Amino acid sequence: MKQMLTGNTAAAWGARLADVDYIPAFPITPQTEIIETLAQWAAAGEIPARFVTLDSEHSMLTAGGAAAAAGARVFTATSSQGLLYGFELLYTVAGWRVPFVLVNVSRGLASPITLEPDHNDVLAARDSGCLQIHAETCQEVFDSILMAYRIAEDPRVLLPVIVNLDGFSLSFTREPVELPAVAAASIYLGEYAPGHAWIRGERPMAQGVAVLGGAVYSYFRYQMQLAAENALTVHEEAAAAFETMFGRRYGLVDGYRLDDAELVLVMSNSFATKGRAAVDLARSEGVRLGLLRLRLLRPFPREAIRRALAGRRAVAVIDQNLSIGLGGITVGEVAHALYAERDRPPLLSYVGGLGGKEISDQEFRRIVSDLMLAAATGETPPPRLLFTAAEARQMQTLLSIAGKEGAG
Amino acid sequence: MIRVRFHGRGGQGMKTASRIVGTAALLDGFIAQDSPVYGAERRGAPMVASVRIAEAPIFERGVIPAPDLVVVADDTLLDDPAVQPLAGLPPTGGLLMATAHSEEEARRHTGHPGALVARDFLTLALEQVGSAAGVSAALASAACAMLGLSGPAVVAAIGTELEAIGLSPDSIRANLRLAESARAGIQRVELPVRSLAAPRAGSPVVDVAYAPPEVGTPSVTARPNTPLRRTGNWRVFRPVIDPAKCTQCWVCFVRCPEGAIELDAEENPHLDYEVCKGCLICVEECPTGAIAKVREMREWAPSEVTR
Ligand code: SF4
Ligand code: SF4
Repeated sequence: MKQMLTGNTAAAWGARLADVDYIPAFPITPQTEIIETLAQWAAAGEIPARFVTLDSEHSMLTAGGAAAAAGARVFTATSSQGLLYGFELLYTVAGWRVPFVLVNVSRGLASPITLEPDHNDVLAARDSGCLQIHAETCQEVFDSILMAYRIAEDPRVLLPVIVNLDGFSLSFTREPVELPAVAAASIYLGEYAPGHAWIRGERPMAQGVAVLGGAVYSYFRYQMQLAAENALTVHEEAAAAFETMFGRRYGLVDGYRLDDAELVLVMSNSFATKGRAAVDLARSEGVRLGLLRLRLLRPFPREAIRRALAGRRAVAVIDQNLSIGLGGITVGEVAHALYAERDRPPLLSYVGGLGGKEISDQEFRRIVSDLMLAAATGETPPPRLLFTAAEARQMQTLLSIAGKEGAG
Repeated sequence: MIRVRFHGRGGQGMKTASRIVGTAALLDGFIAQDSPVYGAERRGAPMVASVRIAEAPIFERGVIPAPDLVVVADDTLLDDPAVQPLAGLPPTGGLLMATAHSEEEARRHTGHPGALVARDFLTLALEQVGSAAGVSAALASAACAMLGLSGPAVVAAIGTELEAIGLSPDSIRANLRLAESARAGIQRVELPVRSLAAPRAGSPVVDVAYAPPEVGTPSVTARPNTPLRRTGNWRVFRPVIDPAKCTQCWVCFVRCPEGAIELDAEENPHLDYEVCKGCLICVEECPTGAIAKVREMREWAPSEVTR
């Protein structure tokens, strides 16, 4: 039976049905509801996990990594500035090859301060060795957490997995979510029994030791790259088993009305839902538009993306992130996937939805008309920020209220 | 798809009301999505909640720009240009509001030609459950009646959602009785079902140019800087100091989260009603009971309605 759950509560249920042993925690908006929910369950004895609040995200990730190295199944969650505060440990703990799951609830980074979502926080961690699954719906949040444990704990992978959901538009939004029975979830996951990193009092070991010499360093770092590449195969196995048990199938990427699409939008996370509406609107006007949703960001499913986009007449990537001094982040990765294609489409780059900014019908229409022009001429327009005249006017009003000289 | 937008203030229970409607819709076999939006969370601050109800997957997120039904928990919001609760409501849509004014006055004041239910749900809640928080279940129940959701689904949804926020079984029973009387006589409203959102005149994409740092950096140099969001119009109850009972202890002055209490030359506290948001912390904290709470009744002038 389905029930109405927020993305945050769905994430807490993911931890609960994964039967985690240890939850190191630190609050931050918009993630706090996840750890509040888990804290309540732990206090009421409804889950056997040990719930501990730490003094910071840095300590939280240290504790999480150490517990995972001692054989505990670990769940933790953070957001935005919190993820950055624990950043050093993301890299460190990934190098220990310990498979915990970290939920990140996306929130734009300071400054200025905001609470609403974009993906600069989670994408900052893209080189850390943590794998990344980005969810579009509350159901996918729950499902991805179960899948994440299965992928992370596979001996071919053994890397932490970050499951990402958007603040507000998923974290505080309720949608119907189907939760499996406890027994089914535990059959799907099996037991976490690491052979390589099982610290015990009677069996001491040193983790993440110092190495002298680049060759030794290169060897171990490249093992992580190979492990991440293995995760492409392991993801497909985990997705197939998930479908068999629970009836829902997740691909490396997700498509909507792609089969006969000539023009394609590439998006990720919860705003991809708005992209689906834009596709329906364009289709109702006779434009063959489709949507490709990036779901697995690390490892980057280059081949799946190449297959999905090769031969299209034009493709537009909407990055809900901004690498200052570069522009959108994922458009470059998509370009990499397509570069070897002889028949590669013009690739248009947009930055939109920063700090949770709405992407209106009018903005989607602009992208579609740019795509049609690019398809006709083969020429690619320069990258563009999605920002409307009405928003510019509102900005002028706010600037003058703030007492800014020269505004207006 | 049917789109319902709730307007209330932090603490009035409109998030819970929206969740009751969302859960009732799910129980009646629909796909539902509900989501509240607060600014920086503060009691008394205007908030919005959106509920979408559909038979096919919902490809929309965030605040509903063009609702089919608007629910207003607090008629002081009607005249707030920063809130505009009626914005985007078509003449064919429905309007449900809690107000001490009559339905005729509400129609005249809002100018809404379509289905309208305006009742004093706050008084009803105070009478039946002894708390203003009852407005939540009352409005949710009335909204479900206007939407035509089934009685059993509404009862189950109220039970689920009030239990989730920790209400006792007795209190839930009282709220269910309140919900029953709140929906009495309310007819189902025929609302237009639109799968794609109504096309709206949008605003074109424009270039953003480099601005000098005095403008292009996020600093604020003006004070006060809240002309778009006057906290003085948030109040449902107005705190009033009785100088005869005041001992000049300054507890209210220290505790007011808005800095709305100032001391005069004789060190007597005074309230700035432009800023006071009506959180009533001062009423709670005053050790001598010198601050009374008085229900706000604002005059309505038809020209003030913003939509
Ligand atoms: S004066 Fe009293 S009611 Fe008004 S904001 Fe201050 S504490 Fe709240
Ligand atoms: S808390 Fe009460 S007694 Fe103390 S200064 Fe304020 S009004 Fe006067």
